[in-house]
Amino acid sequence: MRLHEYEALDIFEQNRIPVPRRGVAETVDDAIRIAGEIGYPVVLKAQVLVGGRGLAGGIKSVSNPDELEEAAESLFSSEIKGLSVRKILVCEKVDIAKELYMGITIDGYSGQPVILVSTEGGVLIEETAKTSPEKIAAIHIDPSFGYYPYQARTLLRRLGLQQQLITTWSDIIGQLYNISVRYEALIAEINPLVVMPNGGLIAVDAVLEIDDSALSRIRLPLPDRIERIENPLERRGREIGVTYVDLDGDIGLISSGAGLGMASMDIIGQKMRPANFLETGGGITADLLYKCMELVMMKPDLKAIFINVYGGINPIHEGAKGVVRYIKEHNVKIPIVAKALGNRQEETWEIFRSGGVHVVTEAATEKAIEKLYEILSGQRG
Amino acid sequence: MSILIDDSTRVIVQGITGRIGSVQTHWMLQYGTKVVGGVTPGKGGTTVEGVPVFDSVEEAVRETGANASVFFVPAAFVLDAFLETIEAGIKLIVVVPEHIPVRDVVKMRSFALERGVFALGPTTPGILVPGKGKMGIMPASLFAPGRVGIISRSGTLSYEFAGILSESKVGQSTVVGMGADPVVLRNLADILELFQEDEGTDAVIIVGEVGGEQEEKAAGFISRKMTKPVAAYIAGRYSPQGKRMGHAGAIVRGSSGTVDGKHEALRAAGVEVLESPIYVAQWAKKHKLR
Repeated sequence: MRLHEYEALDIFEQNRIPVPRRGVAETVDDAIRIAGEIGYPVVLKAQVLVGGRGLAGGIKSVSNPDELEEAAESLFSSEIKGLSVRKILVCEKVDIAKELYMGITIDGYSGQPVILVSTEGGVLIEETAKTSPEKIAAIHIDPSFGYYPYQARTLLRRLGLQQQLITTWSDIIGQLYNISVRYEALIAEINPLVVMPNGGLIAVDAVLEIDDSALSRIRLPLPDRIERIENPLERRGREIGVTYVDLDGDIGLISSGAGLGMASMDIIGQKMRPANFLETGGGITADLLYKCMELVMMKPDLKAIFINVYGGINPIHEGAKGVVRYIKEHNVKIPIVAKALGNRQEETWEIFRSGGVHVVTEAATEKAIEKLYEILSGQRG
Repeated sequence: MSILIDDSTRVIVQGITGRIGSVQTHWMLQYGTKVVGGVTPGKGGTTVEGVPVFDSVEEAVRETGANASVFFVPAAFVLDAFLETIEAGIKLIVVVPEHIPVRDVVKMRSFALERGVFALGPTTPGILVPGKGKMGIMPASLFAPGRVGIISRSGTLSYEFAGILSESKVGQSTVVGMGADPVVLRNLADILELFQEDEGTDAVIIVGEVGGEQEEKAAGFISRKMTKPVAAYIAGRYSPQGKRMGHAGAIVRGSSGTVDGKHEALRAAGVEVLESPIYVAQWAKKHKLR
C-alpha cells in the first residue's frame, strides 16, 4: 500500500527526520489559511499516488495569497495522470543549497534490504543511475547481521563527502532504516533530501510503500487500502479478494493465477483486446466465481468472457457452479469460453456445459482463444 | 531420474489438519508420494488420511524419519514454522502459501541458505516428478513421465506447459515451481544447475514473467554452465505497468525486468525464446525430446 506524501511525512517526523512545516488542504480556503500560518513563499503539492507528479504539473510554488488562490484552484480542478486532486499539501518553501537522494528497498534477487544514496538528488535520479552509476552508492544489509550505523558512514564516505555531512546524513539513514523495518516498507525514500544553506538537512518529499501482506500486523492509524483504490471496478475486486485491473478492450477475463492471466492477455492481445485482468489466486469457491462474473459483467460493451482456470489448489467444479448460477440468474447472452483442467475436470466441464459455456479441453490457451475468436467472427458474419 | 524428489523422499505436511492441507494430502498420497506424517501444533495424536499428526516437527522427524516438508500453514505463521523445520534438520522445504510478508521471506531465505536447506516458494505449486510423487498442489492429470525439466515462476503456467507437452507425447523429468513472490527462497539459476546435473533430464524450459531479474541472472549461468538445450517463455508483454512510485526499485534493477530485456538476455545465452506457450511443442519436436 502506497502512502500519500503527507502521511509519510508525518511518520518521518514522528521518527525524528527533519521535515518542512506543512498542512493538508481540501479546499482553496484551507490552503490560504495554512499558508498564512506557515508564511509565504509556500509550495503546493497535489496528493496523488503517481510517479512523475512534478513533471506533470502537480507541484507549484507561490509567494502570495493571490498566486496561491489561482494555483490551488487550478490544481483542484485538474487531473494528474488521470487522477483527480482531492488534497493539496501546503509546505514551507525550503532554501536549497544541494539536493541529495536516499532510498531503501528490498533487492529481490539477493533477498536483502539495500540502502541507496546519491549526491545527485531530484527527479532525474533514475537517469543518473543509468548514465553515471558511480554517483550512486549502495550497500546490502545481511538479514542475519542487521543494520549498524558504521555501514551508513562507510557508504557516505564512498561518495567523498565531508565528515559533518556524513554525521548528519548517517543519522537520517538510521532513522529511515528503522522506519522501513517498523512499517514493513517495500520502499522508503527521500528525494530530494535537501541541504540547506546553513548545512542542515531536511526531507522535502517522502515515499513509503508498505507490504500489503504485512498490513494486518502493523496496524496503521490510516484509512485502509480499499478506500485508496480510485477505480470502482478495481476497488470491487479488492473487496471480493481478487486482483482486478481495468483495461480498455471488450473481452472479459477470469483466470486462476497471475502467470496464466498474463499469458491469456498476451494471447488475447494478438487479435482482440482484453477488457480486464482478473486473477483469483488460490481461493476459488462457487460464491467467489459468481462475484467474479458479476464484476467482469459490470464493464459496459463486453463482447465475450474467457475463463481460464486450473484445479490444483482450487476446486474448479465449485467455481463452475458459481459461473453457471450467474449465467442462469442473469440470462447472460454473450459467449463464454472456458478452459478448465486439473482435479475433477470432467465434472467441471459438465457443469459449465449445463450453463451453455463453450468448454475447451486442450491444454494450450491458444486453442481456447482461437475458439473464442471463431465464435465472435461467426456472429459478425 | 529426477531432481529434488526421489525414492528416498519422506514427506511431512505442515498444516495438515487445515482445509487445504488435508485435501492436498489426499492428492499427494493418491499420486504415490510417501507422506509419512503431518504437523499441526495442538493436534498431535490424531490422523489425517491415515497419516499420523504430530505437535512438533522434531517429533515428526524422530518418529517417521521424514526428510522433506511441504507447507500449508497460514501465512502469518510460516516464518515460525519454517525456522522450526530447519532446526529439526529437514533439508527440503516447499512453501505453498501466498501473501507471506516479504520481510519474513528475507529472514527465511537467509536462514535456509546459511543452513544448506533447499527451499522453494513462497507462492509455489511445489515439485512434481511424473509417476513418482509430488510435494505441493500440482494437478496430476496434466503431467507425464519423460525427460524434459520445467521451472516456472507461475504455478498455473507450469501446468499449462506440462499439459501442452504431455498432449504432444513429450514427458517431464521434474516440474518445479520456484515461487511467484518478489523474493524467493531459491533463485532460478540454482534450480537450473540441478537440471544440468540430472541424468534424467535432456532439456529445460523456463517459464518466466515480466518483472524482477531472475531470467537475466539465469542467462549468465546458462551461458557459462548449461550444455542442455533451454527454451524460455516470458509472460506479461501486454500487462499494464503498475502505477509506480519511488525510484529505489528501478535503480537496483537497472534495465532488468521488461519482456524485451529478458528475451535479449536469454537469446544472447543461446536460449530459444518462445513467443507463446503453444510453440513449446514444436521446440520439443525439433530437439526430438520425449
